[in-house]
Amino acid sequence: MIPAPNEPAYDVVWPLGKPAYATRAPVERVANLNNKVIGETWDYLFRGEEWFPILREELTKRYPGIKFVTYDTFGNLHGPNQRELVAKVPDLLKKHKVDAVISAIGA
Amino acid sequence: MERCGVPSVSIISTGFLKQAAVVAKGLGLPDMAIAEFPGVPMTQSKEELRRQVVELLLPRVIAGLSKPLNLAAPVNEPVLPKPRDVVFSGTLDQVNDYFHEQNWSDGMPVVPPTLDRVEKFLRFTERDPQEVIGVCPPANREATVWNVAVNGVMAGCRPEYMPILLAVVEIICTPEYKVEDAGSTPGWESLITLSGPIIKQLGFNAGQGVMRVGRQPNTSIGRFLRMFIRNVAGFTHGPEGADKGSIGQSFLVVLAENEDAIAELGWQPYSVDRGFKAGENVVTVQSVVAISAPAYSQSERAEEHAALLADVIGERACGYWTAIGMCYANWHPLMILGPSIAAVFAKDGWSKDDIRQYFYEHVKIKASAAERYAYGAGLTGFRIANAVKEGLLPKAFHLSDDPDRLVPVFQKPEWMSIVVAGDAGRNQSRGYVCNHVQGVPTSRKVVLPGNWAALLAEYRGKLET
Repeated sequence: MIPAPNEPAYDVVWPLGKPAYATRAPVERVANLNNKVIGETWDYLFRGEEWFPILREELTKRYPGIKFVTYDTFGNLHGPNQRELVAKVPDLLKKHKVDAVISAIGA
Repeated sequence: MERCGVPSVSIISTGFLKQAAVVAKGLGLPDMAIAEFPGVPMTQSKEELRRQVVELLLPRVIAGLSKPLNLAAPVNEPVLPKPRDVVFSGTLDQVNDYFHEQNWSDGMPVVPPTLDRVEKFLRFTERDPQEVIGVCPPANREATVWNVAVNGVMAGCRPEYMPILLAVVEIICTPEYKVEDAGSTPGWESLITLSGPIIKQLGFNAGQGVMRVGRQPNTSIGRFLRMFIRNVAGFTHGPEGADKGSIGQSFLVVLAENEDAIAELGWQPYSVDRGFKAGENVVTVQSVVAISAPAYSQSERAEEHAALLADVIGERACGYWTAIGMCYANWHPLMILGPSIAAVFAKDGWSKDDIRQYFYEHVKIKASAAERYAYGAGLTGFRIANAVKEGLLPKAFHLSDDPDRLVPVFQKPEWMSIVVAGDAGRNQSRGYVCNHVQGVPTSRKVVLPGNWAALLAEYRGKLET
């Protein structure tokens, strides 16, 4: 758009804010899931009660030594007690010696 | 999980991948492992669900946990502008085009945020412009006194609204407000309710057409909140937008209480219901996911008004959505009570508590209908009996195992808000349905600068001349 000759110009500032967290890389993956402990965290949404068991069953077929700390151990992380339960997650991961986590579900 | 040093994979359905990217970036983990759940899980048959899990989801979960991540090449973090940096220069049209391109606007023209305009806003607070008020998830950008002023300018606010804008942003930055869920699929909006003498001082509309756009303070402050949530929390529809409101709704103007009507009735203002002293300027923000039909109640008797309001607002508007409130053990509907209706209640000796109690006792829903509705909304793990057993819902929700037993729509009478406002010349009220734990009513006192009266005289004088 071509400005009219006498149209004023405005010097404007940024309306956003700086990010609170610095960027970092994810932690190292688990090379082989056999004999590993897999934690499940769930928001009790979108039929997780149906497909988590299918995932467990299929992962066990491929990795017979795999173990699961099922979602009920962590509770509903998106429910009425979200903040209290999320705060307990680090201790539960340590307590159950969890090697990796399947977190669900964004839908 | 990753902060605990444990590798994780997040299962995200196809329609939510864009939102997941915003969350991941906001957490500083743009390369977070994601396993896409194909399609819409709530519409798949059992067989289809199993097939999708085995054939598509499973390999993605395995890859996310065990395959070394193909991390994006490290790039230098972009240098972000400092608050006083000029990021663009141009005419009004050029500024607006630029802000639209950057997704810094709400689709309507913005007032160019020049240093001069921002400085005028900052005169109305004694806080340091660089003070970080809080962090707004999911983008996790810092909310500062400065960017409150910038967005206030853009939304068309006047400088003297700044103390209200700050109170509003303090609220949305509190963890209990859960602004991170402001882009959830129900598409809720934040509603600002205002009490106190500042209503008259700044010329808010508390009467006829109270929830219409048109009056500058009501409208521009309502617009400001939506703009701030877009720009700082990240809820835009842009390429990096986190807004997932499936149908959504537009911003709501500020609901100003009719304190003259309240005083005439001998009732306490809404601010007192919220734990403040009468006469204090108080802002309350809460979610609104739906608005009832207008409720026209007719009678000279309070009970007949209560019955009609409970039907139109309680049962018809709140009825099904209360099921989601049950899932989260949280539920705060709001009723705007027309002044003439409030007068009938007061004449018959009813208080706001009496109205709340009536709603609690008379508005019910079948337990089976609530569970079925919650299931359809995706809360597939919810059972009322379990929630009662866990102490999340009162015992009144499980007095028998009859699936068709009636349970209260209003979980606790005191959780219902009543604000007297609207057309004094009509017999209309209206219900505003909240989105349970997301956007719970949260209040803050409006902090005015010490020289408020002088500043106001200076700025309002300019307005009037």
